[in-house]
Amino acid sequence: MASYSEELLDRQNPDGGWGYGKVGSSWTEPTCYALLALASGEVYSAEGSRRTVAARNGLHWLTSGQRSDGGWAPRPGVDESTWVTALALLLPPGLSAGDRQRASQWLLNQSGRESGFIYRLRLRLLGVRLDPTQQFDGWPWYPGTAAWVAPTALTFLALQKLNSSTGDAQIQKRLAEGKAFLLARRCRDGGWNHGSTQALGYDSDSYPETTGVALLALHGSKAPEIGNALDVAERHLMQSHSLEATSWLALGLLAHGRSPSEVSVMPHQGTVAISLAAIAGAARQGRNPFVS
Amino acid sequence: MQQSPEPPAKGETRLSASPNLSRRQWVAGAAGATILTGCGTAPAPGKLAPVSILRAASYSEDLYALMQRIIAEHRLDVRGKRVVLKPNLVEFDQNTVINTNPKMVHAALEAFRAAGAADVRVAEGPGHRRVTLDLADAAGYFSTFPQFESLFTDLNLDAVTKVNLVRPHSKLSSLYLPNTVLGCDLLVSMPKMKTHHWVGATLSMKNLFGLVPGGVYGWPKNVLHWAGIGESIADLHTLFPRTFSIVDGIVGMEGNGPIQGTPRPMGIVVAGADPVAVDATCCRIMHIDPRRVSYLTLAAGEAQLHEDLIPQAGEKIASVSAAFALLPSLESIRLVNPASGS
Repeated sequence: MASYSEELLDRQNPDGGWGYGKVGSSWTEPTCYALLALASGEVYSAEGSRRTVAARNGLHWLTSGQRSDGGWAPRPGVDESTWVTALALLLPPGLSAGDRQRASQWLLNQSGRESGFIYRLRLRLLGVRLDPTQQFDGWPWYPGTAAWVAPTALTFLALQKLNSSTGDAQIQKRLAEGKAFLLARRCRDGGWNHGSTQALGYDSDSYPETTGVALLALHGSKAPEIGNALDVAERHLMQSHSLEATSWLALGLLAHGRSPSEVSVMPHQGTVAISLAAIAGAARQGRNPFVS
Repeated sequence: MQQSPEPPAKGETRLSASPNLSRRQWVAGAAGATILTGCGTAPAPGKLAPVSILRAASYSEDLYALMQRIIAEHRLDVRGKRVVLKPNLVEFDQNTVINTNPKMVHAALEAFRAAGAADVRVAEGPGHRRVTLDLADAAGYFSTFPQFESLFTDLNLDAVTKVNLVRPHSKLSSLYLPNTVLGCDLLVSMPKMKTHHWVGATLSMKNLFGLVPGGVYGWPKNVLHWAGIGESIADLHTLFPRTFSIVDGIVGMEGNGPIQGTPRPMGIVVAGADPVAVDATCCRIMHIDPRRVSYLTLAAGEAQLHEDLIPQAGEKIASVSAAFALLPSLESIRLVNPASGS
């Protein structure tokens, strides 16, 4: 685990952010996951003061990137706030209360285009029956598009964290919808793929990484569907070889009290995967920054 | 895996297969092309670049010699150039053939290197799976390419530059695109010959969906669906009109493609410098009427898709064609008279 920590600190760019690979310009997503890994304690304990400086510089890079609408773009030079705003809200204190409020409001203003009034009215006028998996509000990757499993799960986690301190009614309503969305988008095997359970009537199978992140978001849920999903996650874990996928699966299983096996993974690792592995390592020791 | 470093300076990037054009000149040229097609006035029909249909019974045949032959026949001068090979990687299912076979891509890499290319990379941005290297590993790329990771760019996570669309076919006004592709001298689209449950066939033009970065737009690249799938394909073609195409038709996919279809052994490779001509030819090989494939008519106009305007080299269409199974909803795009190509 210490090697993950050292690798992560070595990858930090001079501007304070992290790129997706060993080298490369800074993006919001890997920067947020690297900061979550630092916050999980695994990297702190390994690196002493070096991690403190890394966290401070990383947070500075991130906070300076918040856009006037309250959200974050995926990277500098992209002029649109997207789903990565949820990741910024998952971070421990570092944003001011006002900035958190603006970010959460941006997220609350987003929903899948397929659940919008105009789209549903159009379906009704065309005599098309609403797909039962599309009746709940989730979150899109990119504004103006449909909702999918991963951005819904991560936004759910961010708003759940916020709700624990604010108890906001609007947040609670969206959390209820988000949970229903995730449960409705399970594949035939009981896990989750990107969010399309069927294409033209043909069933689709689940993926390991999305099954892990959906289970993580549904931590604490007693829904009857969860048991089968956990079994699917355990099967995926035994067959997966990517660090990113196995880390999400471990986080999802741990969130429901299962003890995931340690598995061997492929050597090629992006910054997101390394960060998630560090977070999963901390979660095995009871420190999961996604839910605590 | 490598990502291109910083966005290129505005106006300085050299674009696909246009080494002597600056971005500004290239966008102006692309704009002119868009005006011709985007306003509904189809270009006057004229001969397209030739298309080669070559036999290759299996992936164990000498694909390297076949790629050398394609480079020679189409007079591709890649000496000192940066070449990006763009296979089609979608998902992995050991029971079918979703992805471009890695042996095809490896043979192309070796052939372009032998032809003097300064740099040859493999690049792809899958639409569903986030962990691209995991997918590439499952699809056999790591076992086929020595040090695959050092040759590969994940286009979903590459540095990007915003490119404006002038008079687009779709509802898009601009797209962020990966610098690795914007900065290369020759983009080679290497799709699998497959049916597609929404647009009929997925070939070298639809394969360009993989250029649109998931890191910006997400997985899937749903912004393209809402903007119109066929229209978005035509827009990407407008942005990369000089893409060279090499289609893996050794084993294609029929039925409920592009993911859940069934393997269809065809024993051919189809190649050419005009993606419209290559895709129209592949459609005829699959017994699909190219004039009923929306993105082909948008990109070129129906008249331009006439078989007589597409010079053929190698095998004749009639000698290799076979009716691909289509979903019932797509039977209307089936060629009425395959023998005559209409």
